[in-house]
Amino acid sequence: MTKRYFQISVIVVVIIGASTTWLHAQQAQFQVSVDLVQLNVAVTDGKGNYVTGLKPTDFQITEDALPEKIAFFGEGNGPARSVGDVAQDEGKPLDASFPAPPATPAEQTDTLGAAIAGSNVYILFDTSNYMYRGFVFAQDAIAEFVRSLEKADKIAFYSYSRDLSRAASLTSDRSEVVRGVRTTVAGDDAALYNSLLLTVKDAAGTNGRKVVVVFSNGPDNSSVVPPEDVAELAQSAGIPIYMISTREARLEPVSTAVFERMTAATGGKAYFSKNWRDERKAFASIRDDLGHLYSLSYYPKSNPNHGWRNITVKLMGDHLKNYHVRTRNGYRPQPNRFAAGNVAETSAPTGSSN
Amino acid sequence: MKFSFCPRSVCAAVFLFICSCFAPHSWGSNPGITSPAADSQSSEATIQIPGPLRSFLRMAGISQKAAPDEVIPLLARNVFLLGYEGPSAHVRPTEFLILLSRYVQQARELDVMAGAEGVLRVANCEQAKPLLQVLGYRTRTDCGQSGSYLETADPQRAFVTIDSGFPLPELEKTLQGGQAFSYPFRSSRVPMLFTEADWTGNKNLIDSLIRDSALSRLYWAFAQMDPDTQVALRQSPGLKRLAPYGPVLDFYGSRIRFRSGHVAVPGGPGADGVWRDLVGVGPDAGGDFVAKLVTKDSGWLAAYFDSLSRVNRTQQAHFTEPRRLKPFYEALRRQDAPPAEAARSVFRPAPGLLLLLTRMEWESNGEPHVPGNLEVWKRVLHQKNYADVTRDWGKKAHGWNDSEQLLEALVAISRVDTEVGPLQAYLMLTELDGGRGPRHHLSPETVGLMASKFSKFGDQYLLFSEFPSLDDASITAFLNAAERLDNLPNHYIRGNALGMFQSSIGLWQILARQNQIPKKDLNGSFQRVIYPFNRVTTSTGVFDAGRSSLRELMVVATGKPEVSQGELIDLLAGPHQSTPEGQRMHQEVAARMRSVLDAQRLVSLDTLIGLGDGLQDVDHVKASSAHLTSLAGELREFEMPQPIFKKSEREEWGAGIYNNRHTDLEMQTDLSKIVRQPASADQVFQARGQLASFLRDTLVGLNYAYYEPPGAQILHHNPLFVRSHDFSGDTVVGMQRASWRAPQLFGAGSPAGGGAHLVGSLADLPYVLAQAEQDFITPENVQALIWGAVVPGILTSAIVPRWWDVSRNELHAITLYQRAGEELLTASQTNEDVRSKVIEILSDRLSPRNLEHVQRSLRTARAPDVLARVTPADAFYLASEFSHRYPDQADLLGQSGKELQSLVQQYPSEVSRERLSRDFGVPHPVLAQSYARELLNLPPFPAFMGYSSRFLAESWDSNNLYWARLADEKEYSPVMLNRLVPELTRRMVEKIFATDLEDWPALLRATRETGDEFRQGKVNSVLEANNAPRN
Repeated sequence: MTKRYFQISVIVVVIIGASTTWLHAQQAQFQVSVDLVQLNVAVTDGKGNYVTGLKPTDFQITEDALPEKIAFFGEGNGPARSVGDVAQDEGKPLDASFPAPPATPAEQTDTLGAAIAGSNVYILFDTSNYMYRGFVFAQDAIAEFVRSLEKADKIAFYSYSRDLSRAASLTSDRSEVVRGVRTTVAGDDAALYNSLLLTVKDAAGTNGRKVVVVFSNGPDNSSVVPPEDVAELAQSAGIPIYMISTREARLEPVSTAVFERMTAATGGKAYFSKNWRDERKAFASIRDDLGHLYSLSYYPKSNPNHGWRNITVKLMGDHLKNYHVRTRNGYRPQPNRFAAGNVAETSAPTGSSN
Repeated sequence: MKFSFCPRSVCAAVFLFICSCFAPHSWGSNPGITSPAADSQSSEATIQIPGPLRSFLRMAGISQKAAPDEVIPLLARNVFLLGYEGPSAHVRPTEFLILLSRYVQQARELDVMAGAEGVLRVANCEQAKPLLQVLGYRTRTDCGQSGSYLETADPQRAFVTIDSGFPLPELEKTLQGGQAFSYPFRSSRVPMLFTEADWTGNKNLIDSLIRDSALSRLYWAFAQMDPDTQVALRQSPGLKRLAPYGPVLDFYGSRIRFRSGHVAVPGGPGADGVWRDLVGVGPDAGGDFVAKLVTKDSGWLAAYFDSLSRVNRTQQAHFTEPRRLKPFYEALRRQDAPPAEAARSVFRPAPGLLLLLTRMEWESNGEPHVPGNLEVWKRVLHQKNYADVTRDWGKKAHGWNDSEQLLEALVAISRVDTEVGPLQAYLMLTELDGGRGPRHHLSPETVGLMASKFSKFGDQYLLFSEFPSLDDASITAFLNAAERLDNLPNHYIRGNALGMFQSSIGLWQILARQNQIPKKDLNGSFQRVIYPFNRVTTSTGVFDAGRSSLRELMVVATGKPEVSQGELIDLLAGPHQSTPEGQRMHQEVAARMRSVLDAQRLVSLDTLIGLGDGLQDVDHVKASSAHLTSLAGELREFEMPQPIFKKSEREEWGAGIYNNRHTDLEMQTDLSKIVRQPASADQVFQARGQLASFLRDTLVGLNYAYYEPPGAQILHHNPLFVRSHDFSGDTVVGMQRASWRAPQLFGAGSPAGGGAHLVGSLADLPYVLAQAEQDFITPENVQALIWGAVVPGILTSAIVPRWWDVSRNELHAITLYQRAGEELLTASQTNEDVRSKVIEILSDRLSPRNLEHVQRSLRTARAPDVLARVTPADAFYLASEFSHRYPDQADLLGQSGKELQSLVQQYPSEVSRERLSRDFGVPHPVLAQSYARELLNLPPFPAFMGYSSRFLAESWDSNNLYWARLADEKEYSPVMLNRLVPELTRRMVEKIFATDLEDWPALLRATRETGDEFRQGKVNSVLEANNAPRN
């Protein structure tokens, strides 16, 4: 157990489940729906290697500074189990333990494949005029990415220009997805954030772990929703966004800022590739990232805050203090749309919060 | 691909395009001489399209659903409209045309490879090499292995391969060791006009069209004519002579009709003489008449001819009276040097002319109706701030003594490019008088007042055209209050006052439309809603006015002054329902509204009223301090979305767009101290004023929520959308003076701008919200053209109407009318007399070319072809008109006609044409200046400068009729239309697959496809849906 840690990012994903909590403020009824909050967390060391083998007790979660108790824990593609079960299986009490050693390359491959399995990957491809020059190369790269996600559960492929096109709905049939990739056509204005909003909403409506991977040249010249709203929705639905862009986008400060900050806020990452070959490396990096996630869930304590709730995930113990945690930084409980007044029927939201 | 509606000036700048010939052109050797035999032959002539038709359509930007005979015309249309760019001296092909040319070349190469059998075959990697070279791809070194795949080798070719839809994944499978690849790659043949030789000499027509913009436009123009006219013009004056006038023929040629060598002119044979004077030769000169018509006055005479041809017979008869026809044209043509061309832009100019000819009202003696009196219009035209031509007519107006002179002036100024000129004022006031009836026309004083304020408040007059019972006093009260508010010096107070005033009236409008305000109380309640705003000078005054106004509204609608927010939403959701189904639907509508208010995180009305009532004086506050403290806390619950940009970045990247001063000020509002320890009456007074902006937001939010378009996302995900509505126009340079105009959407495509928002008033809100939200409706078809001005109009027709008091009889009558119309069409196939009557009636709604198609299909008993060209509204109109004009032949309307007759006899008022028109018609805020629902029975309108295809959307009145028929067939209760209509309309929009801005058949296809899905039960999920709102 010497050098045992891979780079870490911590991706925190919040999934808001089905039960409801009623919060009353004097006469006004303000109902919010918050249940199980699920975080996907990745941890890296100083060199960017992923760290695996951590235990529930290695993590500390706080929401608005209130310490939260981890209810479910999982690593990679292993099922998330109750913390009690985890401890029982290990035959020891729930106390801090040292992380596992780093996996061998062969083990990494297995872990990666297993981790991607069970994920729903939504790919959003920019087919606007901005993409025109490198369009065919980008298509090649995405087709290759799709093929490489052999063990992912399902993939959806969407493209966008001014409108969203759902070229391939969520499916486990890779050829269907590749066909979707090859049927895209280039042209028209770019409405990235409109389309990303719809993509995140689609993803939020599915069960299981999901991520959105965006391939975009950056500029947006026709969206009517701002990136902040999309980021908040993704955060609340617990969906990390990964964005791959080109050098041209890097030169455009607005897109650069949005891509870096939105991905960080949702627990994903942004990549700026110099050419289409680099795009393939970026896809490989995303696959790698997806393979090293911890799943932590908790039931939030009673919290009068109806607005934005900050989440912090820390590693416990001196031996972990040099590792980096990449996580989303919070979520906004969604007001229940049937809250007000005298509606006879109310309906609890299911799945995602929006 | 999508065209967006854009402001008039932008459209003009962007779309000013070149209509000259770009390439030398050689005409057919003898185009002017054609034998009847050749005519017959040419009607069946076809041309070869390289490669599969599907691929060609993709590359040429043509809908995959276009009929074969539309392919070459649409290709021609796209070439001249989209194929070239740049100033006339440096015209260059666009990327669209370059790709199309590359595709044609590639397709020809593949045609050769496909050989005589027309199939591309590949069995292994080696065989694939030549094909891959043409396609621009290569295999990886492991070709033949399961992990092999294709990658780009030649990006230009690869792009065309992908863009044209070549089945690359299937080829890839073969190269991975799968089955042999076999792809039919056959050239297709599609019909063409005349022969290739007529158009090009001996060259290939496809190549010639691609290279020659002028030829393309002429071809497109010819394709819009009926076959007899095409043949006649080909013979004389011939294609060559008409070639320079392709643009004029494109815009104004589709209504030219030849009958036995004679041109049918507006006004009929009685007007032949005047047309001879105008054109120089008579209509009996046939081709020569047309040649002179299109050349005269830079196309304006053709424009005049076209507009007159498009209006109904009654209007045409008035305008083509000898005393009018020539003088009015002389007024229109205007001597300007150099003459402004009538066909220079991509859109037709002078929409006002067609509107005037279509909507003009006449007195019983045949004289033009003049709202108010002539003196009023003399003064209006004499205002100094008009453009040259209007001012010139204003000078002449001094000597006017009859209404003909006014009408002549209106025709003349219809060429002025404005939305707020005297003509537009006249059209609006004419509609107002028309709705009121002869005994309740507006007084001259009111007309004068409204006309004088038209440029500022004109868009607000939609309210008065929708509710004709609002009398002169109500209108005057509105304008006086609006003017006072407009003069408030403090921009912040003014913005809140304008928002509060308009949103209060907006709520009144909804309740009045839903008959929740008794008719007898319309005037009184309207004035009481307005009255509190007359005293507004401070923020507290704004709050108090909004509060009082709402109280007055509730008194008239519910009998009690105070209602909770929940009760108000229930009220707005529609009248009380007594049936379980009605109640369920009512709850659903209310829930949708609540979901918008929740998503916008607006402060509850209950909280604001509670605070406002508490903040009356120091004693009040002290007595309920704890309660008020709690309420005050709710004002501070709103948080801005988690920021992505820093403040400095916003200032740099969102300059001129990001402006949330209104929200920022609200977030700084903290009443907790004052409600805990009120020090003075003035403090309490000021504190109440701080509630004004919150109350404005909530009332505006209720308006937004009511008009939520199907598929809306901004309303559910951008919590600043309602708050950001800029009523005073402060956020946009130049908008301050337009703050009472219909709102415009600003901030789209500016990521650092905080999201799009509306600037302007609440007039035309349903359309503008639909415009903002339309891009969230996902097209079902790749490369679908869903054009930006039509979709909001169609969505508006689904949003504004509600179906709370529609009876089953009414619903069934809608079905029977449509079926009877279809049965009549079937009957006319075998009965020439009936056929001529049917064609006569349909000529009111169908273009000559479409009418000719229908006539030919009926003659040859091809009913399915007829239904592809006759809309549900056409069928409805046909049955309705036939039974009206030929009551003794009602049996020809078939079984449905009999059933309908019985229904009409039993329930005459319930199923009257007026009531059906009111309940199943659509709003026409541009065409008829009103949101009142009505079936206008107009043919599809062409695209015009400044309006794009919004006219087309408003003349499209088939949807609601068809959805009602579907609901009736499936035995749904009428109240279910409140859910069905928005949802079916959204699906219909998803299916639109059009090619050009006037592609009404694409609307018809989308409507029928949606209906087919519905009938097959594919939309059942919608109907069985739970009560969860769409978002």
